[in-house]
Amino acid sequence: MILADIFQLWNNAWPAGLTMLGLGSAFAVALLIASEKLKVEVDPKIEQIHEALPKLDCGACGFAGCASYARAVLGNPELIGKCAPGGPETSGKIAAVLSLHISDSGPAKRPIVHCRAHTADRTYYAEYAGIPTCTAANALPNVQACKFGCLGFSDCSDACKFDALHIIDGLATVDYEKCTGCTACSKACPRNLIEMVPFSQENMMTVACSSKETGKSTRSMCKVGCIGCGICAKQTDVFKVEDNLARLAYEKYQPTEQTQTAMNKCPTGVILYRGKSAPPARQPGKKPTATAV
Amino acid sequence: MDTLNILLLGFISIVLINNLVFTKFLGICPYLGVSGRIDMAFGMGLAVTFVVTLSGTLTWIIDHWILMNIGLEVTRYVCFILVIAGAVQLVEMYLRKFFPSLYESFGIFLPLITTNCAILGLCLFINLWEIDNLLEAVVLSFGAGIGFTMAICIMAGIRENLNLADVPQCLKGAPITLITAGLLTLAFMGFAGMIR
Repeated sequence: MILADIFQLWNNAWPAGLTMLGLGSAFAVALLIASEKLKVEVDPKIEQIHEALPKLDCGACGFAGCASYARAVLGNPELIGKCAPGGPETSGKIAAVLSLHISDSGPAKRPIVHCRAHTADRTYYAEYAGIPTCTAANALPNVQACKFGCLGFSDCSDACKFDALHIIDGLATVDYEKCTGCTACSKACPRNLIEMVPFSQENMMTVACSSKETGKSTRSMCKVGCIGCGICAKQTDVFKVEDNLARLAYEKYQPTEQTQTAMNKCPTGVILYRGKSAPPARQPGKKPTATAV
Repeated sequence: MDTLNILLLGFISIVLINNLVFTKFLGICPYLGVSGRIDMAFGMGLAVTFVVTLSGTLTWIIDHWILMNIGLEVTRYVCFILVIAGAVQLVEMYLRKFFPSLYESFGIFLPLITTNCAILGLCLFINLWEIDNLLEAVVLSFGAGIGFTMAICIMAGIRENLNLADVPQCLKGAPITLITAGLLTLAFMGFAGMIR
């Protein structure tokens, strides 16, 4: 009885199976011919370069994503080094794939925000209630007294894909642990406060101000702005004062006794460290301590 | 003259009145997924048109010449899927060879044409409507593809303009797209009853 059922099932099933097999093989042959005729040669190097990239698709290189950057690099090796998150390591890997030798490109660049004023340190002429972006607020004159400082909306932190930038008390603050150096924030800032700096040390000294006002008017607008007094420049020549604003030559910077003295003598405390383990900056308004390093 | 009349009516019917997207709600996935830009939407529409014409014709032939002859209508679904998958593979190879940029921009949606229910739906509808003329089946399949292209292009055009519109925050993105799709369907309901 059961045997008969099985036989019946078999008798019903085999034509179906055979038809499917026939159809399947017919399509397989058709596709095989098509795949031979329409073959696309892909350079295996593209895949290798893509492997070497961080695959973040952040767009720092100026291409739509890592895949298109990989293709572009193969065509034009001069584009090596555009990958900011990967840094020199990735550039080296790409160069190895392309059998090229790259010269040392220097330390990786990280953003530094050239402002240290929190909301309490600034002077405001009016309360801004417009579109909450820096670009919009920047178009309006004189809401915030300082024409150069951080506006504290979130254009830069919105641009950051790595959650490495936060507005803390009205000041954009970089989380250097998470930062990949993709330059998105420095492009987003309408006041060009964020500069990509080669971090030769883990913590870089910087003059965290961009105000080109005279010392007196800077003082009237901000408790912590650079007044261009030039005390730092007298200590060491890596500091230079131009347009009432001290600037540190980051390429020349080495942590020496002179730079530390300059930092300690700065009357407004605007010279401070930025980096992964930066010591806290001096409190605003506090007089410089007389103690040496 | 009579044949031509039937073919023309069938074509208009499948494009406007029985449009697979608007009245049968088939193929919604690419309809919402690839309708961000009008050039991509048009490319998607053409790819779907090609696949649906090819597979509609092939499935009709297989259905009527093989499956019905040996009484294996139950295997229709499997056979149809086989045909569609093969046709999509073909389109994929062709696009990769001759339109690499289009191939890139489609991404995952190109192999997903395989599971585009508009295509399988059309193949089954041809059987359901008891189309027993090869020419009619070809015209209907092609019309379904054109209908899909039209739908996705209209959607892409609207969505491109929506980017410039002041959409309330809570409706941005998917919600306004779905509302647009609903309104479009309502508009196309107006064609219902034009041809029976």
